[in-house]
Amino acid sequence: MSPDEALRTAVLACFAAPALALAAVAAPSFFRRPLPEGRAGAIVQTGMLSCLAALLAAALLWDRAGGAPAVLALGGGWVTGGAFAFDLVVDGWSLGFAILSVAICGVVSAFSFRYLHQERGFHRYFILLVAFVLGLLLVSLAGSIEVLYAGWEVMGLSSALLVAFFHERPAPVESGFRVLAFYRIGDACMLAAAALLHHWSGSGSLAMLFSRSGAEAALTPGHAAAIAVLLIAAAGAKSALLPFSTWLPRAMEGPTPSSAVYYGALSIHAGCFLLLRASPLLSQSPLARGLAASAGAATAIYAALVTRAQSDVKSRLCFSSLTQVGIIFVEIALGLKVLAFLHMVGNACYRLLQFLSAPNILHDIHELENDLGGSIAQAGAPAGASARWLYLLALERGFLDGMIERCIVQPVAQAVSRLDRLDRRLCGSLPGLAREAADGD
Amino acid sequence: MPPTAADDTAALSEIIEHVAHLLPAQGPISIFIHHNTLHAFESLPFEEAVVRAGEKFGCEPFLPEDEYRAEFLRGRIADADLELALREELRDQADLPVLGDISRLELRRRIARHGLPQASGPALSWLLKETSALRRYRGDLPPDAREALSAAGSEDSAAELAGVLGLWEACLSAARRSPQSPAQEPAGPMPRLRDLILESRGVDLDAWVHPLLIRLVAAFLDQGLAHWTLPGRERGLYDCFLDLYSHPLASLCGRWAAGLPPLLKEERDLKLYPMASLRRSLEALGVRPEERESYLEATILALRGWGGMVRQLGKRPDRVPARSLPASLTEFLAVRLLLQRAALAFAAGSTPVAEFVSSLRAARPGAAAPSLEERAWPLFHTAQLCGLQAAQVADLTAEQACAWEAEVREFSTVARRRVLHAAYERHLRGRLCDALAQHAPVESPAKPAFQAIFCLDEREESFRRHLEEVEPEAETLSTAGFFGVAMYYQGATDAHPRPLCPIAIRPAHFVEEVKADPGSTAVRWRSTRRRGAGRFGKAVHFGSATLAGGALVTALLGPLSIIPLVLRVLFPRWARAWEGSLLPLETAPVTRLKLDRAPDPPPIGTHSGYTKAEMAQVVGSVLRGLGAADRLAELVAVLGHGSVSLNNPHESAHDCGACGGGRGGPNARAFAQMANDPEVRALLAGEGLRIPKATWFVGAQRNTCDNSVDFYDLDLLPKRLETRFDAAAKAFARARRHEAHERCRRFESFPTSAGTGAAVSHVEARSHDLAQPRPEYGHATNAFCIVGRRERTRGLFLDRRAFLVSYDPLKDGGGTLETTLSAVVPVVAGISLEYYFSRVDPTGYGCGTKLPHNIACLLGVMDGAQSDLRTGLPWQMVEIHEPVRLFMVVECLPDRFDRVLAVQPDLRGLLERRWLFAACLDPDSGALWLREADGYRPWRPEKALAAVAEGSLAWYGGKRGHLPIAEVMGAASKEGRA
Repeated sequence: MSPDEALRTAVLACFAAPALALAAVAAPSFFRRPLPEGRAGAIVQTGMLSCLAALLAAALLWDRAGGAPAVLALGGGWVTGGAFAFDLVVDGWSLGFAILSVAICGVVSAFSFRYLHQERGFHRYFILLVAFVLGLLLVSLAGSIEVLYAGWEVMGLSSALLVAFFHERPAPVESGFRVLAFYRIGDACMLAAAALLHHWSGSGSLAMLFSRSGAEAALTPGHAAAIAVLLIAAAGAKSALLPFSTWLPRAMEGPTPSSAVYYGALSIHAGCFLLLRASPLLSQSPLARGLAASAGAATAIYAALVTRAQSDVKSRLCFSSLTQVGIIFVEIALGLKVLAFLHMVGNACYRLLQFLSAPNILHDIHELENDLGGSIAQAGAPAGASARWLYLLALERGFLDGMIERCIVQPVAQAVSRLDRLDRRLCGSLPGLAREAADGD
Repeated sequence: MPPTAADDTAALSEIIEHVAHLLPAQGPISIFIHHNTLHAFESLPFEEAVVRAGEKFGCEPFLPEDEYRAEFLRGRIADADLELALREELRDQADLPVLGDISRLELRRRIARHGLPQASGPALSWLLKETSALRRYRGDLPPDAREALSAAGSEDSAAELAGVLGLWEACLSAARRSPQSPAQEPAGPMPRLRDLILESRGVDLDAWVHPLLIRLVAAFLDQGLAHWTLPGRERGLYDCFLDLYSHPLASLCGRWAAGLPPLLKEERDLKLYPMASLRRSLEALGVRPEERESYLEATILALRGWGGMVRQLGKRPDRVPARSLPASLTEFLAVRLLLQRAALAFAAGSTPVAEFVSSLRAARPGAAAPSLEERAWPLFHTAQLCGLQAAQVADLTAEQACAWEAEVREFSTVARRRVLHAAYERHLRGRLCDALAQHAPVESPAKPAFQAIFCLDEREESFRRHLEEVEPEAETLSTAGFFGVAMYYQGATDAHPRPLCPIAIRPAHFVEEVKADPGSTAVRWRSTRRRGAGRFGKAVHFGSATLAGGALVTALLGPLSIIPLVLRVLFPRWARAWEGSLLPLETAPVTRLKLDRAPDPPPIGTHSGYTKAEMAQVVGSVLRGLGAADRLAELVAVLGHGSVSLNNPHESAHDCGACGGGRGGPNARAFAQMANDPEVRALLAGEGLRIPKATWFVGAQRNTCDNSVDFYDLDLLPKRLETRFDAAAKAFARARRHEAHERCRRFESFPTSAGTGAAVSHVEARSHDLAQPRPEYGHATNAFCIVGRRERTRGLFLDRRAFLVSYDPLKDGGGTLETTLSAVVPVVAGISLEYYFSRVDPTGYGCGTKLPHNIACLLGVMDGAQSDLRTGLPWQMVEIHEPVRLFMVVECLPDRFDRVLAVQPDLRGLLERRWLFAACLDPDSGALWLREADGYRPWRPEKALAAVAEGSLAWYGGKRGHLPIAEVMGAASKEGRA
């Protein structure tokens, strides 16, 4: 087997392993014969381990081949003109993020295997978790914007469904819906970016965006800026940057390990990763660069302020994680790619550990207080004339919920109900439809 | 004359005090105390209380019908139990015919046994149109009914179709003939305006108000989770709220909040007391004076977890670190009503609020009368269950049809579940009676190798049994696990003191653990290092959430955290060992309890330490209660218990109930130290209680999660007792392994075929595993409480289901039983009833599954991102529990028990209203009397007691579920062993 073929096989294997595990767990459940817990767990673990092994092998092969970015064209050309391609790109960033993702998901699946023991929805949880791994792999190894988009969608869907995991209560379902709605905004931006990229450059290949020379060759600065802004919006929605941050605290409805892996560790950093990959594009456009930096900085300040007033452990954690995500955006905008990547890895691992042991906070604080010999509570509070509104701002999470309700939800709802009324009036006058419209009331 | 404002205020505070009783009594979760979830309803008979409370809280009174029916299949309920339960309810009416020659009892028996599918409205139409309900008879008919029905036609389906259709038509016509009962739908109490608006406009005011209110109350109650404390919270919630939310920015909280700042500004300028504001708000909301109680009740119950916590912290500030918090329910309500007013004003839009409210009231829809199909549906099913054919139904007169319908309606699903539940409990009580009546007492050794005094906790039952199996020369005793030492306790490494005694007692004494040698360099170096570690930990804890600190921590330490992450998740036991070796704690310094009375004022409570006379009193009353005062062995171990687990907000619920959700080790240690004190012994000798000079008490703590036992103050053990102690310690170690193995049989993830070695590592891993939501099952499966001599239960396999209390009726000079029961009953009844309710309605009375729990304020858990504070027990703690009321067997004659009840009205009330059951066991014979409403009924054994000779393992080995009581170490087998 030639080195190229070996690399190709390894990369394919890292997709095949979780895909097979997904099928093996999901199919019996679909036919209402769910596998016994032990077997389902073993299949998922094997899938994750083989995936990790394949990725490590790919990394080794890639390194031995000289460490130059490699594009694997795995198919495509289905649509006339050959514009759609299933390309993967193998380089340090993509392998790094993929390995991090699979390793973390592996650890979390081992955790969840015991944590969700005997829970209704055990299988559903693992199906969604493995789907998430597949989505992450697609995103991290994407070589064309079609692949990226597919992965982006799978990730978003699995995370919304896990937020709504306890669907017998209304709050999780509402929150899941809200998460999905915000993700859709980001998805729409990414889809627009994909369409524009195809339109302007004639291909969806990301390789030209991911390298400076490629980006400069294929796109004019104006086009590059437009695509970069759309990608920043897509990344911002996924990473809960301002003004999208309101969905993040609501996403804490799922089982603790799912909150940990999505909002502590991986999903929230997927936006950072996207921006990291597209940073050559940023360097081409000062406007986009400024936008990324200011969104990141605003988010970091916002989240750091909000964290201070949160009195439940999960909100506190998700906002402190978001603070760092904002800083990572700034680092990327400044071109500090390696620092940003390390920061990302560090934040992911650290928050994951904090989230997984969030129910242990009573224990931890008790021990800390014993070591300190006194209460841990800080008598801290903002002082001075601005104290009152600063605290209110932090407690009410910057009034984002209210503002979004006022500026987006309300106008949209009004417009929709106006359209609905118009629709009825128009249809009501048509013979035969009048009754149906009345029945529908 | 209109009432004055002062009268009105007094009346209002009375109303608030009254409705506040409905709030959950759960305090801070780190001091978890089991209590009767329906404490507010204790003055009602149990069966009525659960139904009334269920309506009030929207919760279930019993298990679902199907769960009871499944119990018939595995023999957990016998048909005879059901019949007896029905007869008890119907009494002399049981045999009255109600449908043809079918008696009421028979009709109800069939309905209870097989059930009536509940359906109405569109669901019923669907069943009738789309399923085989009108084509085939029910599949689960009793054989005689099937026979009677198929006798009409032959077996073929065409005949069956005709038969079913005919029967349905006949039932419809019977329902038509039977006069429609008057729609009994009196206008219920005034619902909350929120409910009216939700019903009529689909707008939920709670969805606007609750997020804000929860955030505010959480910030107010926070015990140290947030970096910033709510500004000015020492002035109370109401003031804080007015101060904060009258800021113009607050109108951004949502569209509904546009009017909030002006409203609050106006309120603030009036400078009202919270109570006056409350009164003003009630008027503004259009609540009439006579409706106040029901309105406030509904309002307070809408966020009952948070309301309850506010009330608890107001009542018992000594249970949290932030003791100076002025928590008041009135303020909470005043704030809530102000928010409600703002929301209501927005919902009303341009309509004036008063007009809006009265239009809402006028528009209240009444309940619709049931349709003909809805009335015929249950008749149709009962007819099938009784084997009635169409012709027989058609022959019924209008009166007969009416009586039939009334009977079926009266035997509603709640009534059916009540009877099924009675049968379910009756069966279990019967098995304990059988066992106690048939078990031949196994005498404790006359000169025991050692004695061990345990807590009465039902988890100690298995440990005691195994200890007696591995060391037949040991004697075990038990009493409430605080051993009479009610104290505030502060360990040498503890930051705060905490109460260690039953919740009903507010301790007067403060006891501190001090280092024996505080001046030594090792000790000082150690505490310096600990302070350093604490400061570093605190810096990381708070810093990691900030901008710069977080960047530093995550970028520098973050990548390293993958190591503890992988270790702790994948290899919990190794991680424990690794962390231990990384931070070597040397040998823990020697400590002592500062038990003696000191003049310095205590940080909490009224006295530092005990006087010798007080100590003598504690020791004397415990030893007398045990009935062991005159036969103390040379070595007496006193074992308190606690439970250590990770990632478990409900950890403290596994600790000792008699220590108020604390670990009872310090109490055991204090008791031992008191009993070893020569001055105390001299005082006791003066009272006639002679503790032999050779006797030595050793305190210990048992961890019920990883089954370990740690002894205290072993350096003080007299030399002569060392060999004796070593032998005892060995027996404890062996018993630990065996007991771990028995416990593990309930864990699905432990293979039933594995051995004792695997069991010990399994329970240790569980205790240290972050990913383990079931570190132990706590009090789950508790069902009995046996008060009497150990010899009556020694050798019985009680499956960790019985609280055991040592009491010797032969040595009771009068009064001992009273003292014992008054300490024991509140603890065990609280545990039993809390488990009952959390199991019967796991999401209503319990706090649902643990998986999405989110710790708020360090005080309790919410579901997911934000919710009401969830009280009760999580599903993972109660899933194997059988919800039954506690059955207490007391070893004494009925007239002796009656004398106790005469002076203990609380216990008497609980028994008369059936919150628990009792029986008396004759101290001389095996006779047993059940206490019933009209006196004592002698028990006649129903089933023979199973027996195995080889010990517990032979009985439980390889089995998962609840096991019957059995004799595992009878007199015969003990001789065989010897």
